[in-house]
Amino acid sequence: MAVNFQAGPDQGSWQRRIDRAAQLAAEDEATRPLLVFYGQLLGLQRDTYDTLRKAPLSGSLERDLDVVRPCASAILSAVRTTGPALLADEIQEIVAGGDSAIDQLLLEWWRTLAANQFFGKVVLQPYAQRLAELSRRPLDRELYTNEFRCPFCAGPPQLSMLQRGGELEGGGRALLCATCFTSWPFRRVRCVSCGEEDEHRLAYFHSRALDHLRVDACDVCRRYVKTIDLTRLGVAVPLVDEVAGAALDVWARERGYEKLELNLVGL
Amino acid sequence: MAISRRVFLKGSLTGAATLSAFGFDIAPIAAQARTLKISRTSETRSTCPYCSVSCGVIIHTLGDKAKNAVPQVVHVEGDPDHPINRGTLCPKGASLEQDILNDRRLLKPQVRRPGSTRWDDIGWDQAIDEIGRWVKKTRDATFVEKDARGRTVNRCEGIAWTGGCTDTNEFNYLVVKTMRSLGVCYLENQARV
Repeated sequence: MAVNFQAGPDQGSWQRRIDRAAQLAAEDEATRPLLVFYGQLLGLQRDTYDTLRKAPLSGSLERDLDVVRPCASAILSAVRTTGPALLADEIQEIVAGGDSAIDQLLLEWWRTLAANQFFGKVVLQPYAQRLAELSRRPLDRELYTNEFRCPFCAGPPQLSMLQRGGELEGGGRALLCATCFTSWPFRRVRCVSCGEEDEHRLAYFHSRALDHLRVDACDVCRRYVKTIDLTRLGVAVPLVDEVAGAALDVWARERGYEKLELNLVGL
Repeated sequence: MAISRRVFLKGSLTGAATLSAFGFDIAPIAAQARTLKISRTSETRSTCPYCSVSCGVIIHTLGDKAKNAVPQVVHVEGDPDHPINRGTLCPKGASLEQDILNDRRLLKPQVRRPGSTRWDDIGWDQAIDEIGRWVKKTRDATFVEKDARGRTVNRCEGIAWTGGCTDTNEFNYLVVKTMRSLGVCYLENQARV
């Protein structure tokens, strides 16, 4: 079956994400530090994206490093002053290693898309998004893709969304790539990680306090992904609202579920 | 450069951690999480029973799987992955939740007497007795053992049965067995899905 997917920033511009982060930070005290930091990251990513838009990109990170590296340096230096001590310490180590350390870090992440690494993800998300917009497939890494991985870059999903659109009524489910922000359709009653379809082993955890968010968990593989229900709150920006629902992450982890892909605040 | 273990920040957040994998203090968020009233639901794919189009539906059931908790249907919606309806439902199908949960559901038998304009409650025993008596009387009066050409037909032409679209397979099985044993030919059970 041909996969119908949408490349690029279908969930709003960088500015829309930044505005949403500021709005949600003003509304909730507990998640404010996370959202303020994430808003700053989004600003840095937008600057990176603007720089990359003006540059000819080949799709091979190794060849594009000359353009990407200065952006990475800017992000590292900003995060060193505004981020938590753990990240600041790491940046100290990376900076001490010079340009070659940054290159190695980026290339390593680009080839593995490791779920729990911060720097590769924060720097290369704008790069991957730009490649998706240009329909320029990443050249220098394995692109093994299936319905659980992004059809463009083979990255894992950051979150799932329920949305109306096209000929669909009600809440069609789509996954949003954690790397290039491409979205692709995915079946409703199915585990995003292991593909389990037995409804008795799939659980949806929901709180009215976070009405448009839920945790889609699987009792077989014990993994979960958060779902942003855009049919309940159309103004939500999935990437940002996912971070704002941090309490659900903590709740799920305390019950032994493991998140499929950490977001940029490490939850 | 040798990449250190920490450079890769292997997140290993488990249990009641106080820091996120990237070092954020999540104590306030953990406190917030404890105030959340979280409900567990399941989504079950099924088929609308109302007509032969056979639209796919998703039934949302609330329940934490505890042995003393009774699962409760809280929502029914069209299945967006179903090739027939792609998430749409007709107004009747969209009201399926009310087929499952409905304050107006009749819980005891009622009868409308000949010439009466209203329904009266009657007891189960009385209802079964009356139905049995009328079925026997009607069947005896209208039973056709042989047709006009003398062939054995053993049919009851004075009774007809019509079923409802939400009747189950098992119920329809019993209906067919019962009606056929009475010789009823005018039998419709709406089992089309």
